[in-house]
Formats: sequence, C-alpha cells, structure tokens
Amino acid sequence: MRERKTTIFFNLLGLLMGIALLSSHPAKAQYTGFKPVADLAAFKKQFATESAKVSTITSNFTQVKTLTALTETITSTGKFWFQRSNRVRIDYQKPFHYLIVMNGDKMLVKNDQKENRINVKSNKLFQQVNRIMIDCVQGTILDSKDFTTKVFENEKGYLLEMTPTSKTLKEFFQTIVLQVEKKDYTARSIEMNEPSGDKTVISFTDKTLNTTLADALFSL
Amino acid sequence: MRCFLFSIGCLLLMRCASDYKGLQATAPDDACAARIVPARVNTSWYNADVDVVGRHISGLLLVKHMPDSSYRVVFTNEAGVTFFDFGFLTNGDFKVYNAIHQLNKKAVIQTLRKDFELVLGLPFRQGVYQRWTEGEEVFFGVRQKKETAYFITSKDCASLRRLEWGAPRKRKVTVQLPGSPYPSPDMLELKHHTFNMQIKLARITKE
Repeated sequence: MRERKTTIFFNLLGLLMGIALLSSHPAKAQYTGFKPVADLAAFKKQFATESAKVSTITSNFTQVKTLTALTETITSTGKFWFQRSNRVRIDYQKPFHYLIVMNGDKMLVKNDQKENRINVKSNKLFQQVNRIMIDCVQGTILDSKDFTTKVFENEKGYLLEMTPTSKTLKEFFQTIVLQVEKKDYTARSIEMNEPSGDKTVISFTDKTLNTTLADALFSL
Repeated sequence: MRCFLFSIGCLLLMRCASDYKGLQATAPDDACAARIVPARVNTSWYNADVDVVGRHISGLLLVKHMPDSSYRVVFTNEAGVTFFDFGFLTNGDFKVYNAIHQLNKKAVIQTLRKDFELVLGLPFRQGVYQRWTEGEEVFFGVRQKKETAYFITSKDCASLRRLEWGAPRKRKVTVQLPGSPYPSPDMLELKHHTFNMQIKLARITKE
C-alpha cells in the first residue's frame, strides 16, 4: 500500500505542478536569458493575485522522461484539467493510458489493469500533496515550507527553481523547475530533476482558461 | 469426517509431490536450444503492473541492452519518477544504481534481481543445458546453486512456452509469453508460486 501511495504521490506532484500553472517557474543559476526577480515581494503578491483569477484550466501536455546515463527518452502525451479549488484530472493518453482524478479529499487512479479509489485524508503523504497543491493553486507556493524557491524572469516568463527541504522529497528531486507565462501566470512547463541526473519535463500547450468544465470530468 | 480427513491427506500428499516428478531426462538437442533459447532481450519500454500481496504498483519499465551486452532495467512511475535502476553486468555481477528507500531492502532487491535475470534469460547465456521431456513439452535447464532455470518449448521445438525458476521439488517462478517471442517479447507475465506476486509487462510502441 505504501508503494502504491508513493506512486500516486509523485504522479500527483507532477499534476500539482501543472496546476501550478497558476504558480511559478523556477530558474537554475545557469538559466540562460533569465535574471533574478528584483522585487520578490511584489512578484509573490502579483502571483497570488493572478492565480486567483483562474477558475479552470484545460490543457494538453507532453511529458518527456530522459534517462541521461542511458541516452533513453520516452515521450507521453495527454490532457489536463483543473477546476478551482481542488479538482484535477490528468489523463495520459499515448503511448499508455493512465488517469488520475482528484476531487476534494477523494482520488481515483486508473490504468488498463486496475482502478483505485483513495481517501486523501487517510494518509499524511496525501495531506502533504494536498497542501502543496493548494499552495500552487493559490499562488502561495513561495511561502511553502516544502521548498526553498528562487525566482527568475525574462521577457516572457518567470522561472521558479524549487529545492525540496523535506527528506522525502529530496530523495526523488534535486530541483523542480517551474516556468510560468508572464501574460497570465499559468505554467508553461515543469522540469523535475532527479538526484541521479535523470529528468522529466512536462510542457503544457493549447491552454484554455476559465471555461465551464463538466462535473463528469471529476467524478470518481 | 473420514472423507474430510481423506481429503486433507490427499491435499498434503499433493503438496509434497514434486512439480518436476514427471520430467524424463533425455539427450541434449543443441540445435533446438540454439534456435529458441531466450538469451537476449532487445531494448524496449514496457508498461508494468506489479501486484504484491494485494498491493498494486504500475509504471514504466525500460529494458536496455547495452553495447557491452550488459543490461539496465529501470522502473519509473507514469509521471517519470525513477523507482529503481538495476544493472546486470556481463560478468554476472549485479549493481543497484538507484532504488528508492521503500524498495531498497535486501529481500526485495534479491527477488527482483532473480525475476529479471530470468526475464532477461541470463542463466541461459552459457549455452549448455540439461534436457527433459514431460508430455508435450521439452524442458531445457541450467542448474544454479539450489535452483534450476528452465526454458520450456513445445515438443516440436516450434515455440517457446514459458520460463521457470524451480527448486528441486517446487516450481517457484514462471514467466508466460502470450505474445511475440524473444528477443522482443511484447508480453511477459511473471508469477511467483511461493508467495503472491505477479509482474505483467506489455511492450510500449513509442511514437
């Protein structure tokens, strides 16, 4: 059960970062073309304000997992939906099927073989995910105790380099780099860098904001 | 009551019976073995579903055949986070490049090591096999310490039926091959017979 929850936890983490479309995008020290944000307090305020304006998101995504040492990549694509404040659906469609739906305290995880329903409240790990998600959605991830965050910017966007502080997250991620559009503060991409040097980049395209989403998308 | 005791007795006797008692030793058939031996797996990504004592884990599994003929086996979840990265070296050594702490336990690692050794056909690389027949099947075996690795073919050597790890009297692990054959099997179904664990692999066609 612990392994399954861990799996789900990290799938969710990817999602939340997507949700954080509403949030930021990290920039490494070597992020070409980016410079540190001069007024961090102003950015935090603006980030929270703009995030609050987003009630729904619909987006396609492309995920590229790179195993650096093995020079192997696998690309998957799918669709992502978010509805404020706590509904998320992520649907991997190619080259495999995998679905996660979060609706309040309830969660559904489904692939071709199995379907699992989980009560988020039953597990501290999920509560942590929930907290991070809310921080992302509300634009308060910069105040999160789960990460220390550096913020950079260029002409078109912000980049948030998030370094985990907890032992659990550190085992999996060296940094998480979130890129956010300046025009609407939605996520352009999220890059999860593992201690081994492997990385996963999820890029969001064809985003639509603030449209009506059917409740059925989030039914469990 | 007598019937009940008789049934229990029969069950106990059945449990004591060897899974391999029907095997009849026969002369080697090098031509068949060389043609069908599953001693290589091409690099592929697989959809993986693992069921362990009532728990389910899914993800993506990469089997990478390296230029030096060693293998790397990497398991990630669907969102890309790596759970383990194992190396099977050409000299027979095994290396854990990476394993999350929940999996990084000796018993777990050893179980997965043996499972993937069988899937990769590593015991069969040496090219010398004992041979037995049972019914319509032919068993080619390589003894390794207390266990024997088998690849099992049809009697006419037309198809590879399954792979097995077997103790002297007990079948321990089987790998069924419902799809296309080695070296690019598109389905592998591994089942433990001494505890409740199954691994199902379905090859992913990358776009």
